[in-house]
Amino acid sequence: MSLLKPFSKLPGLNTANILLVENEEQFQQKLADTVVLQEKTVNVNVRLARSLPLPMENEESRPRIDLVVFIIHLTSELSFQSAETSLKYLDPGYFQGKVCFLVTSARNVSVPPERLVSVRTLAASLHCPLLCAEDQTTEGVTTAARRLLAILKVAAGLVPMATGLYLSTLTRCTVPSDIDQQNFE
Amino acid sequence: MRSNEVTLQQENGQPLDKESEVQDTPVPPAIPFYIECSEAAQAQLFNECEEQFAQLEMLQNEIILAEPDSDENPQEQSVNRLMAVAAELKQWQKRQPELLSTNPEVLLVVGAEELQKLNSQLELVLSCSQAKRDTLRETLKRDQKWLEKKKEVLRAGTEHVVKQRLENERLSEHSVLQDTKKKIQKMKDYQNRLMETLADVLAEHFPLPTQETNADKKEKNIPQELNENLISLNEVLELLMNTTLETPHDPYVSIDETFWPPYTEMLLRHGIAQRHPEDCFKIRLETFY
Repeated sequence: MSLLKPFSKLPGLNTANILLVENEEQFQQKLADTVVLQEKTVNVNVRLARSLPLPMENEESRPRIDLVVFIIHLTSELSFQSAETSLKYLDPGYFQGKVCFLVTSARNVSVPPERLVSVRTLAASLHCPLLCAEDQTTEGVTTAARRLLAILKVAAGLVPMATGLYLSTLTRCTVPSDIDQQNFE
Repeated sequence: MRSNEVTLQQENGQPLDKESEVQDTPVPPAIPFYIECSEAAQAQLFNECEEQFAQLEMLQNEIILAEPDSDENPQEQSVNRLMAVAAELKQWQKRQPELLSTNPEVLLVVGAEELQKLNSQLELVLSCSQAKRDTLRETLKRDQKWLEKKKEVLRAGTEHVVKQRLENERLSEHSVLQDTKKKIQKMKDYQNRLMETLADVLAEHFPLPTQETNADKKEKNIPQELNENLISLNEVLELLMNTTLETPHDPYVSIDETFWPPYTEMLLRHGIAQRHPEDCFKIRLETFY
């Protein structure tokens, strides 16, 4: 099994590596450019992939991935399914703060609401944060990039006193039924 | 502190408990930027970094060796997570706060940087809370105005209620009865007045014939049947009215010698009275209703 392992390589100095996994390969390029532009103090490397498992040829040259972001477009069911299958190729160690879900077109009326609910249940079961992004405007892309950078820095250990595990516990996704229960209490 | 370094200036910020009353806080003196560090301090810092990195490599190798090849279902992470969180907690509890390095130069530079970061963050917080305060003030003003309006409405409403209650007390049954009695009395007075006026008018314009008027016509030898109990026109009319009112099923009055014929004729002609269709000696008041 070619699992992607979180701690199998040495980290680089003042470096953070982020992997964007997207089935459609349209948003990742824009996001990658913005992320690199936004960050000035830390060396950020963005790697793009269509799905996991990653090709074996790059295994040696690939640096240690600090954050894996699954970009899911709610407008297509395929996006979600591809992300689900890719999850199997991740080492379980990643799910402790090194995985993030990014969802686009959450406000779109033509999107069936069940899809968002299923993404949320998936994210909640894995205890991973779920971000909603707006991929049509530059402002939306910039905002999404900034948020990813914040999570990335923590996951790469560049923020003192904060670990990925801690952050993911704070920002974990909740499913609507959870919230209702909390309200009752 | 070395002599070739700039000394830190004292910060003269306002005390925090007065923050809310001060509209514009005076800008605190800028924290100076320290970029230059002496060679010796840099070298020491470098060494410390190398030591840390060596330790990191050691830990990394340990991790790689201890890597479990678990085929776990990625959906069941709770146990792993629990263990990881517990381990992290233990680490945090064991850890002691420690200096970044023992070199005072390094500490100074790092400290200044941190203070600047903190400064900018606090400025953000300040502007954010000022904005919030302003919106709260707006809301407060709006709500106060709304409250004023509602109070006025309440006042008007209670006044109305009080007035109505007074009205109600005033218009009790007794007073209604009194009012009705007064009205009846007024109507009766009016009717009496009318009747008196009618009597005066009739007496003036339609008097009964007297002896004197016929005295001039003695020569014509018209037999006068005076000295009968002629009743005045007023009395005739009263008789007719009373009959109509008291016996509406039989409002007819028989003409007898007490009625002076010219007057009856006049009443008939002017439509004030009406003959009985079958009996020519009966008249009644014309239906005016």
